[in-house]
Amino acid sequence: MTNIASGRTGLTGLAALAAALLASTAAFAFTLDGPPKVAFIYGSAALDGGWNEALEAGRKAVEEQLKLEVAVTENIPEEATKLRAAIDLYVKRGFNIIVGTTYGYSVPMAEAAKAYPNVAFLSASGTENGPNMESFYARTYQGWYLAGVAAGQATKTKKIGILAGFPVSVVNWDINSFALGARSVDPSIETVAVFTNSWWDPVKEGQVAQAILDQNADVLATNLSATSALDVAEKAGVPSIGFQLDMSHAAPKTIQTSVVFRWEKYLVPTIKEIIDGTWQPEEYGAFEGMDAGVVELAPFGPGVSDEAKAKVEAARQAIVAGTLDPFQGPLNKQDGSAAVEAGARLDDGALWSMDYFVQGITGTMPAAQ
Amino acid sequence: MDFLVGWIAIVPSYATPLLLASLGLIVCERAGILNLGAEGLMAVGAMTGAIAVLSGVDPWAALAAGAAAGTALALLFGIATVVMRADHTLSGLAVVAVGLGLTGVVGRPYMQKTFPGIASLGELFGIERTTALGRSVAVQDPVTLAMPVLVALLWWWLMKSGSGLRLRAVGENPAAADVAGIDIQIAQLGAVLVSGLLCGLAGAYLCVATSHVWVEGMIAARGWVAVALVIFARWNPARALIGALVFGSADALVPRLQAIGADIPVYLAMMLPYLLTLVVLVASSIAGRASGEPSFLGRIYLRQDKH
Repeated sequence: MTNIASGRTGLTGLAALAAALLASTAAFAFTLDGPPKVAFIYGSAALDGGWNEALEAGRKAVEEQLKLEVAVTENIPEEATKLRAAIDLYVKRGFNIIVGTTYGYSVPMAEAAKAYPNVAFLSASGTENGPNMESFYARTYQGWYLAGVAAGQATKTKKIGILAGFPVSVVNWDINSFALGARSVDPSIETVAVFTNSWWDPVKEGQVAQAILDQNADVLATNLSATSALDVAEKAGVPSIGFQLDMSHAAPKTIQTSVVFRWEKYLVPTIKEIIDGTWQPEEYGAFEGMDAGVVELAPFGPGVSDEAKAKVEAARQAIVAGTLDPFQGPLNKQDGSAAVEAGARLDDGALWSMDYFVQGITGTMPAAQ
Repeated sequence: MDFLVGWIAIVPSYATPLLLASLGLIVCERAGILNLGAEGLMAVGAMTGAIAVLSGVDPWAALAAGAAAGTALALLFGIATVVMRADHTLSGLAVVAVGLGLTGVVGRPYMQKTFPGIASLGELFGIERTTALGRSVAVQDPVTLAMPVLVALLWWWLMKSGSGLRLRAVGENPAAADVAGIDIQIAQLGAVLVSGLLCGLAGAYLCVATSHVWVEGMIAARGWVAVALVIFARWNPARALIGALVFGSADALVPRLQAIGADIPVYLAMMLPYLLTLVVLVASSIAGRASGEPSFLGRIYLRQDKH
């Protein structure tokens, strides 16, 4: 069995070894061994109105700005064998820059990266990195802090709400930062946070939104891809905040803003570096924020006052300048214990392991149980 | 108090799609056809409802379109099981696969587009949400209000009317029903179509009345809950109403407990409806014949065979 396999891959293996030796002598930068051919692989439809669609906008920017044609494959499930088959096919056809768009691709992509050392792999919201692979995510909490500043000025009941998918770090920091942004306006503001325990159930999202409004919250934010929560907010006449893409179409009257990704700010320069032979993957992945423009706020809705806009803009500039960090200590956890000491800031390791709510949030954190 | 009112008021919207689908399945299974296809029938209903609204059709007509689409897919299921006498379990699972696959392909251009849905009573009659009573009434919609009537009618027809008796006879003892002059295939095909109609309506309701947006896979196993509800209800429409309310209450409670920061084991609480299903399944299998299962359910009737 192993003999057959090694027999078939022996030649490519040898070539790969030679290439790896060559690459290791040429500093640490990664070089392509042919003309650049880029492919994006999606776990579901590219135009899903949320996460994928934000990446798809990045793909189009790569096409336009780098004058490249970028191939697309959709609906490749997060299964190692299916993803690997798609990657193998692309590599055989001469593609040498492959962008995976979902978290579940990360580990099988890392295996493919080892098998194809001359191919560059970029993994959205991935966990794996290597000499020819880089995971990338964005400091979404910075955008959510600004959303909190907007929400804090819109609320009259001093109670705002947010619904989210699962209690994982990338979600927890959004919720916490949202609450902290609101409390920067008025420390008495309480944030109701509810997990739907699904990434993809618009029926439940609408129902959870109603549950939050029933708690007397008068601003509603969604951390999910579907717009049904915003629809509930619009009907109730409650200011709302969207995520991933500009969701104003779902709540044209009540939307405040949306926290959006601008993946082209990462993808275009990174792919250009790969083509130029100057790319050096970050050891722990690319993790940029508003200063790089990867996270932004969508245009404000009609109900946002000029005063509120000015306050959000001031906070935005402070974040970009690095003088404001949402997770600046002292910060307490929901139960009153210390999360961040006075004067300290959370490092990236602490961000990626965030499994708690901060003080001022009403909600049940399953991870704490 | 506010918590209780908010919770109870929202339960009908959780229960309605489950109830609609399980009522359809009850009619179908009373005629002896085991129908595991609810998930697929609902998926087709939801997508068709969304496409209809997005194409400018009135939301009420969109509900009807969803029901019609469910009926069309059920017709295929009926041809397989009733006419071709294929295995019910396999045909039902095929309906799920076809329904989910078809909606993924056909519905793609319609994903994530917010649309106006069925208006709630609050919007229809301008009910103020200031009082507890006002709020509870305002969140209901005409479909949820119609549910008790539908259950009563269906119960009366199935349990008390002559044609209901004949349908049940087909599911209990088709040979005897055949001898009595009932056209078995017509009765079964009709029952299958009713299940498609109601499951399609349930899916369209989820989309057009609740979420106001369609995404692939949005039925999210609610069809399977409906399948379990049928067993819980022991094939009785009145008990299905109770079952749907119990399941709906459990489902609606979890996010509300989270929203007040209640110190509850969230994952355990979310398991409750499914745990309940499991208990029901075990209990009904222990009960055996007393479970109320139609005697000929899932079996294939051939006239020349002796039963």
